[in-house]
Amino acid sequence: MFKKYMSTSMVILFLLVSFSMAFASEGPGGNDRKGKYTYRKVYKACAKTGGVESATPKISPADKTMGQWQEIFENKNFDEFGCMDNWSVLPDKDILDIYSYFYNHASDSPSPATCK
Amino acid sequence: MKINKMKILILAMVAGLIMATGCTASQTAKTAETAKVDTSWMFHDIVDAAFVKANIAVPMPENVILIDARPYKGKYVSGYIPGAVSIPFSQFDKNINLLPTDKNALLIYYCQGVKCKLSHKSAKKAEKLGYTNVKVYAKGYPEWISLKGNYGAFEAEHVAKLIADNNTVIVDARPLKTKFVKGHIPTAVSIPFSQFDTLKGKLPRDINTPIVFYCGGLKCRLSHKSAVKAIEMGYTNVKVFDKGYPEWKKMYGASKEAMQVTAGTVEGSIDIKRFKDILEKDPESILLIDVRDKDEFAKGSFKTAVNIPVEDLEPKIKDLSDKKPVVFVCSTGARSGEAFYMVKDVRESLKDVYYVEAEIDFKSDGTFVIKEPK
Repeated sequence: MFKKYMSTSMVILFLLVSFSMAFASEGPGGNDRKGKYTYRKVYKACAKTGGVESATPKISPADKTMGQWQEIFENKNFDEFGCMDNWSVLPDKDILDIYSYFYNHASDSPSPATCK
Repeated sequence: MKINKMKILILAMVAGLIMATGCTASQTAKTAETAKVDTSWMFHDIVDAAFVKANIAVPMPENVILIDARPYKGKYVSGYIPGAVSIPFSQFDKNINLLPTDKNALLIYYCQGVKCKLSHKSAKKAEKLGYTNVKVYAKGYPEWISLKGNYGAFEAEHVAKLIADNNTVIVDARPLKTKFVKGHIPTAVSIPFSQFDTLKGKLPRDINTPIVFYCGGLKCRLSHKSAVKAIEMGYTNVKVFDKGYPEWKKMYGASKEAMQVTAGTVEGSIDIKRFKDILEKDPESILLIDVRDKDEFAKGSFKTAVNIPVEDLEPKIKDLSDKKPVVFVCSTGARSGEAFYMVKDVRESLKDVYYVEAEIDFKSDGTFVIKEPK
């Protein structure tokens, strides 16, 4: 009885791990190419209104791990990015794209962002 | 005495009449003689437009050749009887190879009307070469084009001129999906003959607007059938470019067909196989923009690529040509993807834009390796 219970639990655990790994590897599911453009566009607009000095964003996806970006974007905690006025008007789709850009090119991702 | 005077008067009148009629008769004889002399230059076998019409077809029958004996540049290029080949009389000896090998084939020569001798001279030469069935359509192109229901044909270079003049509607009569979208003459509108009745509203409102129909070359009837329908609708200036798109491609390049870019699976991306194909066969057919930094570009890039680093791209987007598809490249797809979305955002009207979603390893010797995304 115990053996049967254990084997069933192992199968369930295996399936859960497999599913979570599969979903984790897919990332947020947005358009990371578009996200990169939108992210830079936010800073260009912000620089024009004097929100930041440089139109080139200071934060790069490779500055943090996937897990860290996940926490920031899922909690919508964009304080360290600055330019809050610009972030607050972004549609959810654009935020998802930017999230995908940061997540897919995080320091521990298969393709971390370079300075470009 | 009075009677004698009357007799003299009557005799004088009769003599005058005889002299007058005699003189007229002799003049008539002289005119006829002159006319006879004037027609001696003509070929002995003259045919009319009905004969020409009865013997030509699309495609042209193998044993029939309709020959335009007028100068190529001044006359043939800007209007000829559909199906006619150009063998100007001045070039007769150089172009004997264009005549059929079968000496019994029907040769119909024409030129610029009854006073034009070129067709007659050509016909005589052809007969001397041994051709047994030679005719001259003496009233030639001026009569042909004036007859109701008839239309002329143009050469490609004249079509190019019409496009530049921008006052002629060019109509592609081929099927839309299988032919037109794969390549067509610039500015052409698509009215496939099979849909002529439903799409004829695309023709200009002014019935005097020049219209040129074309299709897939000398064996294709679609342009001719469309021309006939347009004439029936009342259009007064209808022509065909009977050598059609194959001739256009030969003269002015493959146009859209070679430039045809196939989208990849990712939004905005170009199909990688198609991209490789274009690079190999017709790289000039696309505007290839390398958006990497100048130092990266200097170390190696595609031969036909121009370098506009993505940071410098935005102000230049408005100047990008819309004549060719634009394809952005970089080393991973990140910057080229950014460039793609930048164009979509800044200049939405530029539709034919793509980027290469792949890793590209550029070598200094000009070679490269493209790794498709898994």
